[in-house]
Amino acid sequence: MSDTAIEAAALGKRYGRRGWALRACSFRLPAGRVCAVVGPNGAGKSTLLAHAAGLLRPTEGSLTVLGTSPAAARDRIAYVAQEKPLYPQLTVADTLRLGAELNPARWDGRVADRVVQEGGLDPGARVRTLSGGQRTRVALALALGKRPELMLLDEPMADLDPLARHQLMGTLMAEAVEHGTTVVMSSHIIGELADACDHLLLVSGGRVRLGGPIDDLVAAHTLVTGLAPASDLAPHTVVESRATGRGTTALIRHEGPVGDGWDAEEPSLEELLLAHLRSPDAPPLLAPDTTARAARGVAA
Amino acid sequence: MSTTTTSPDTTRPAPDTGLRGPLWVFLRLHRTPLLLALAVFVLGAALTGFLRWAAWAYPEKEFDCSDGGPCSDTFLGFHSAATLLYEYMKNVSLAGLLLPVLVGAFVAGPVVARELESGLHRLAWTQSVSPARWFASKLAVCATLATAAALTFIGVFQLGGSGMPGMWNLNWPDRGVYEATGPALVAYCLLAVAVGALLGLLVRRTVAAMAATAAVTGAVLLVAGTVRWDLVPVNTLTGPGSIESPHPTGLPVDVFLVESGLQNAAGERFFLRECVPEPLFGARCPSDVTATDWFVDFHPHAHFWYAQLVESGIVLALAAAAVYAALRVLRRRHA
Repeated sequence: MSDTAIEAAALGKRYGRRGWALRACSFRLPAGRVCAVVGPNGAGKSTLLAHAAGLLRPTEGSLTVLGTSPAAARDRIAYVAQEKPLYPQLTVADTLRLGAELNPARWDGRVADRVVQEGGLDPGARVRTLSGGQRTRVALALALGKRPELMLLDEPMADLDPLARHQLMGTLMAEAVEHGTTVVMSSHIIGELADACDHLLLVSGGRVRLGGPIDDLVAAHTLVTGLAPASDLAPHTVVESRATGRGTTALIRHEGPVGDGWDAEEPSLEELLLAHLRSPDAPPLLAPDTTARAARGVAA
Repeated sequence: MSTTTTSPDTTRPAPDTGLRGPLWVFLRLHRTPLLLALAVFVLGAALTGFLRWAAWAYPEKEFDCSDGGPCSDTFLGFHSAATLLYEYMKNVSLAGLLLPVLVGAFVAGPVVARELESGLHRLAWTQSVSPARWFASKLAVCATLATAAALTFIGVFQLGGSGMPGMWNLNWPDRGVYEATGPALVAYCLLAVAVGALLGLLVRRTVAAMAATAAVTGAVLLVAGTVRWDLVPVNTLTGPGSIESPHPTGLPVDVFLVESGLQNAAGERFFLRECVPEPLFGARCPSDVTATDWFVDFHPHAHFWYAQLVESGIVLALAAAAVYAALRVLRRRHA
């Protein structure tokens, strides 16, 4: 079993006249992580997940999943698309039967049944009669029943109320922890995923801007406030700076200790992400084990 | 939760059908239209059988209407049960032309395009079955069902019309009858499956794909029916004839007569009322209209099988090309 869940090397995808959805996208996601893919709408999150699920072919570059091509890993990946596509004419029970029939080698009906039952769903109910949250539950049951090594969930919690979100996230995490599943979830709301995830990919403008364990990423940055102008902050990398009433507030990647005259504090995850989204020219930061091996070879 | 015990166990595939994998999924997803089609076939076969039986059981009676009595009996408002059967079979033969059109529309819309239009392919293709295998299994099931439907139709048509005396205008070369009595119908249904699959993949809109497939399949049927007998070389028979006795003799039975007329000593052809006694305006007549022979161009019944086999071969080749193109489209667009 590969120690790498997903590895992208200079991945690019162009949609006809709409231009590039992903460009020069390189990163590595170690196996066993619970990873949040965050970024604004249209950043390329869905495109990235669809590539990992083997639904799209890269225009350039490459992407490997679980040490092989997405197509070859198809039976070990579960994917839930943003719209939670399910056949509307099937009942809940028939939808799970579909999972059993199309995944004969891996299907675990007990897991799928339990997820459905925890939501109090009637197995005889037709999918077209279900609410958004119930559909999400069935889609997750189908994904979990496959016993995947890698789960790709595109905006999984978007149409759920807070209670259902909490419940489903609990179910998901319990399964993931029990089986060591790598989970990749996309969202444009970080708060939704911050508690559950230990790893982060910030996608913006078709590239990965930040990648690594959440704690490491936060620890690599400092929020500083001082009276001096931002140019005094060298040799630190200034991600974003703005003038405030009393001087300058800046988010920096510190190289060694911050000099005198600056108040330093650790930024919140949200501050970190917003600062990067507001400053598209800031250099990307990938934690050491999340750099694509091919890209690292070039850089070295 | 208390519902645990009442819920059915979906792990165990139901033992009732014995169907597995993509085949089970396909039949379950399209259960309603398939059952509807089955019901139509069963009803059609029953109706055909009944009318055939009625035509046999209630033969036309001889009435003596010289004394002002009833001159004819009726059967359900028709002249006789045989007339009803004939009218019915005439319509059935034309309905046979609709079969490939309906098959194509079904494959293009509900089977292929709807999945792409509503994003359901992202569900189907991320199970353990690759898009190519999923697509191929759908094509295989559709091709099997289409073949079964065509063969059933041919069987029902035989049930209603085979060797029936009085089928005076249901001749073997007629549009509809020709298709409904040979392998061409099977070939056209398979072409419809292939064209439906290709256009469903290309158009990706349910209704538009159905319309496009119906149009293409219908156009192929229409063109083939129009040019078919012009492309098969005719047999020609001649014999001594004159303006006084212009009619051919000794023609084999059960032929499809294409043209018959007279020719002069030089072998130039002309027609009796067109050129003799006076040439009609616009008619093309030879200068010498002294008839020495009659001639007749015709297709013997043997040409039926010749045309059926050649036509089926061409149509199947087109179907294979469409399947190949569809697989190329699938490969190119999706990993």
